[in-house]
Parts: sequence; C-alpha cells; structure tokens
Amino acid sequence: MRPLTDTETQTLFSKLANYTGRSLTHLITSSTSIPASSKSKKDEDNRHVFRLHSSRVYYLPLYLANLATSIARPNLLSLGTCIGKFTKTGKFRLHITALDVIAPHARYKVWVKPNGEMPFLYGGNVVKAHVGRWSEDCPEHVGVVVYDMKDVPLGFGVTARSTAESRRLEPTGIVTFRQADIGEYLRDEDTLFAT
Amino acid sequence: MAPIPKNKPSSKNGSKKDGVTKALSKKSKNRLSKPQTIKPQKSHVPQKKKKRVYTEKELGIPKLNMITPVGVEKPKGKRKGKVFVDDQESMMTILAMVNADKEGQIESKMIKARQLEEIREARRKEAEARQVEKRSKLEETKDSLRKKRNRQSDTAIPLVDESSTAKAKSTRKRVSFR
Repeated sequence: MRPLTDTETQTLFSKLANYTGRSLTHLITSSTSIPASSKSKKDEDNRHVFRLHSSRVYYLPLYLANLATSIARPNLLSLGTCIGKFTKTGKFRLHITALDVIAPHARYKVWVKPNGEMPFLYGGNVVKAHVGRWSEDCPEHVGVVVYDMKDVPLGFGVTARSTAESRRLEPTGIVTFRQADIGEYLRDEDTLFAT
Repeated sequence: MAPIPKNKPSSKNGSKKDGVTKALSKKSKNRLSKPQTIKPQKSHVPQKKKKRVYTEKELGIPKLNMITPVGVEKPKGKRKGKVFVDDQESMMTILAMVNADKEGQIESKMIKARQLEEIREARRKEAEARQVEKRSKLEETKDSLRKKRNRQSDTAIPLVDESSTAKAKSTRKRVSFR
C-alpha cells in the first residue's frame, strides 16, 4: 500500500473529472473548511486520501490508512472504498464501487424509468424509450451518472449522443453506453473485491 | 570503453602519513590538534599530476556503444524511487489543472455541438424550402396541364363526338343471331 505518484494522481483525477464537476475538490478537502494552520490533529486524521494497493486505488480516511500500515502487504485484501484499478498500460478503470464517491458530485445525470431499470442493471445500455429525463445541454461522449426516478444511483456510463441529437432519436436508439451498474455487485461478485 | 581509474591518494599513503605525523608530533606538540594540515607527501614523493577524467559526453562516443543500454541508465543526481503526492496542496493543484482541462474540453465539445446543430438546422430549412419549391412547381405544371386539357376539350371534344357518332353508325358491324 502506498500513496499515488504524480502521474497516477493526474490519471485518476482526470477519470473522476469525467463524471463530476468542480465539486470534486470536496473529495480531497476534509468536510470542515478550517484553514490548515488552525487544524487539529483529529481533522488531519479524518482527511481522506487515496492509496494504491496491488494496482487498485482505495479512498479512505488517513487514520485508517495509517492503521493499515501494520498489516503485511500479502495479508491486506482491501481497505476503504475501492475506486478502481490501474491497467498495465497505466490507464485507470473506474469500478462500480466508486459510484458512491462520484454520485453526489455528478455533472450530468440520466434518470431511467422503472421499465428501464432492469435492462440497465443486467448490463444493457440505456435506450431512449427508458429515459425519464436527462440533464440539458449535455454533449456527446461525456460521463453521466444513471439514476432511477427516485434518485437512487444505479451506475454510470458515457453519453452516446448530445441531448439535442437524442431528442430526434427513435425510441430504440441508445442514449447512454453503460460502463458500470450496481448489478455488478452480483454478477462480478468473485472478482470485484479481490483479483 | 574501460573507465579511467581515479587517483586516490588518501588510501595509498595511509601508512607513510602515520609515520611522519608521529615524527612531527614530537617536534610540535602544541600544534597537535591539526595533524592533517601538514602535508608531508610533498617532501618524499613528487605529486602525480591528476589525470583528466573525460566524461562520455566529451569524448563523443555514440550512445549505443556503452555497457549500460540507453534506456536503462538512470539520471544522475535524481532521487531513486517514486515521488508520492500525499499532501493536500499538491493534490489540489493537480486537481485544479485536471478540472480546468476537462472544463475546456467540455466547453469545446459544446461549442462544436452547437455549431453542428446550427449547420444541421440550416440544412434542414434549406431542404424544406427546396421541397416547398418543388411542390409548388409540380402544382403549377399540374394546373397548366389541366388548363390545357380544358382548352382542348372546349374546342376538340364536340368535333370528335360528331365524327365518332357518324362513323359508328356507318362502320360498326352488327351481328344478329337470327
């Protein structure tokens, strides 16, 4: 387990910034906005950090990361929230477990009607007929977070077309390409938390 | 290329130095605190002129002609290992950079999409106008044809009728089964 390097941090943030807006800064800064000089040790310990362990990136409070140093590397299975993993080519792949981190800061959103929830959760793309509503002025090929009509995040994906274009689309046309959905918790149960 | 050995006077003359310092120490006890300042070598051995050590850059040797391959050699003076980013400030600067980059990308995408949309709209309008024009032309030709037919019917039809009735009377063959 180790902190991220410069390039790794940049890759991770650029991936996260695909889905989130400017409020991503809240991930790094602790919830209380106290200047650094007057921060107590407790605040510092509660600050969230990113840690890399066996090519996976975890997001966790600092005190937990410090505690985890006492566990030997082969014995440490997982810690904090897994954000995703670095591929061997140095790219970053977000996992569904990162949904809880990115959903509150989502830039663009798509709400799926109840009849489209199951097709999405089984790994299908979002078609126009299933869209309840969507964020306006959304360009194509940007990250979106998919919600159900009760505002529960179901997963995330990439827009296939801009909102203006998808208005003219036929009902069976794909609006959002799926990247991860919460159905993966069951489908990929074996590989999601350990390689 | 074999590396040129450097002169290491301190290791070579260690034993001699000791002997001399001992001798000297008797003479000048009050200056014992600084035995290294005295340079006894000069008197015994004429100091070798230090050979100049050329770096590989100076010699102009091609880069491939080395013991270590080009990619493997680590830059000198740099710290070994990775440099971690763990403090909040540096993370914030990286994040700000990434954010600005993403904003720019999205902005340019939006502008592009808007331009494309405008072009598409203009094209659609043009097509619509063309269709309307085409339809009106078709209507015109239809009207003209209709008018022409009407004019012809006014003049020609009665004539045709007369001749046809006359002809029918004269030329039509009739068959009666009786």
